[in-house]
Amino acid sequence: MRGRVLVIGAVVASLALVGAYLAAGGSSYEPEHVQNPCQPRPWSNPQGLGEIANQFTNSALDGAACKLGVTRETLARALASPEARKRFSERFHVTDAKLAAAIRAGLIRAVDDAEEAGALSPILAAPLRETLQRIPLQEAIELVNNARSLLGNAQGFLGLGESILENFLP
Amino acid sequence: MLVSFNLVMALAAVPAALLARRVGPGRAAAVGLAIFAGAGLACGLADSLATLIAARCVQAIGGAAAVTAALELLPATVGSERRAATVWAAAGATGAALGPAVGGLLTELVSWQSIFFLQVPLALGAAVPILAVAKHEAATGVIEPELRRTGRPHLWANLALAMVSAAIAAALFLLVLLLIEGWRLSPIEAALVVTVMPLAALLGSRLTEMVADARSRAAAGAILVSGGLAGLAFLPKATVALTVPPQILVGIGLSLVLSALTETALGGRAPQAIHGGWTISARHAGVVIGLLLLTPIFTHDIAEQRHDAIDAGTAVILDSPVNPLLKLDLAQRVSDRLEEEKGKVPTIGPAFEPLPSDPAERAEVVQLREELQDQLDRGATHAFSTSFILAALLGLIALFPIALARRVDL
Repeated sequence: MRGRVLVIGAVVASLALVGAYLAAGGSSYEPEHVQNPCQPRPWSNPQGLGEIANQFTNSALDGAACKLGVTRETLARALASPEARKRFSERFHVTDAKLAAAIRAGLIRAVDDAEEAGALSPILAAPLRETLQRIPLQEAIELVNNARSLLGNAQGFLGLGESILENFLP
Repeated sequence: MLVSFNLVMALAAVPAALLARRVGPGRAAAVGLAIFAGAGLACGLADSLATLIAARCVQAIGGAAAVTAALELLPATVGSERRAATVWAAAGATGAALGPAVGGLLTELVSWQSIFFLQVPLALGAAVPILAVAKHEAATGVIEPELRRTGRPHLWANLALAMVSAAIAAALFLLVLLLIEGWRLSPIEAALVVTVMPLAALLGSRLTEMVADARSRAAAGAILVSGGLAGLAFLPKATVALTVPPQILVGIGLSLVLSALTETALGGRAPQAIHGGWTISARHAGVVIGLLLLTPIFTHDIAEQRHDAIDAGTAVILDSPVNPLLKLDLAQRVSDRLEEEKGKVPTIGPAFEPLPSDPAERAEVVQLREELQDQLDRGATHAFSTSFILAALLGLIALFPIALARRVDL
């Protein structure tokens, strides 16, 4: 009889422990899953240049990562420094030309997303796309890393006056 | 390295027991302890991994001779073979639970070599009282006449012992790794945390005395070990306190199941040393199987989860509203930090130093650091889940031979 009580006690104690841990979220305690970069990442009504720049960066990274078949996060870390980029290129066998093409595609996707979200005027978007298609790798990386400079200095690319730019950005 | 001792122990236990029967348990135990002490000294002085592994293998041979011979010597001390089997089984269970805690404390407080240096006086001290028995055997020329009449080993009990030992080895090994490598505790902190298991094992030994039925104790023990391992597989947060209830179940369980199965394997069988050798062999074979089975799984999982956690942490930074230039700087520092701690779960705090002077930015960065650390903790904890679940399954599978052992032998 004591033996049976011992076995039943062991079953109850084990089930109680596992049940309590599962109820407390034990089955979902893992890193959050990152979004597939090929899926659209909705823009959330950006207010001001800073927010637009943030979302522009995310769209550009998504677009480039999708082309390269990596996550947005892996690419963001790769673009953080020349050493990180070198490690990334070796690990994923990505040449500079392939990386440049992917980043240009990403930047163009970001312009498309910004235009669709109403954050960038179509008048500004079209020539930006033209410019981005020819941009060298290093400049493309700098633009992804600091989209504010692209948007804030777009007049530099387009030869437009600052006052005109202000009319195009919300 | 990890399994060399257990592998040699598994292979040497039965031959060592046969030798003990031939030359006499006193002489076998004395020589075994001397070999164990000498090899322990060599382990402590080893200047290369190869030397350390070789010395550990020699130590296992000495250990096998001493442990199996001890079972033949115990009845004279404790009064009966049955009592000897109980004491011997309980000592084995306590040792299994106590090992990681003592090892961790010595490693942190002194050095890893101190574990082996401490074994030298302990082994020699144990050999001293046995010398008298050994001298008596030498004088009377004790040769066991029943050497060839050894009964078959208890298959089901030994099979269950192997499975449960695989699960327990995984519990001890994986938990220590989770605490040190995953949650970044120091070895002494980890050792203190895992002392819960030997303390719980002491509680389990009280239950052993209260319940006579060995099969019930074995079944309850296997269920508790599995339940504790499943609890470790589903930890809801990376907090040391949450490892305590599973450890209590594993500790009580291992005490119940190891002693019950060892008693079953030895019950009514002679010579005791040889059947004790089979139990030692089964237990250590189980440890080898458990570690060989689970090590590649958790090694793969920890690499994958590290990657997922870092991606999740980077997503937190990218989606945060902080200044893009600061983001870039943080991404660079995090990337450098990951490179510095390649292959490990990184300590991410230094990547966020120095904190920005602006109070608003500072608060945002501190929050980012905590969120990134949370993702890493999640990854480190989750990386061990599959291995803990598999170990729990091994414990549950052991219920089948435990049930069969009853039908065949009890």
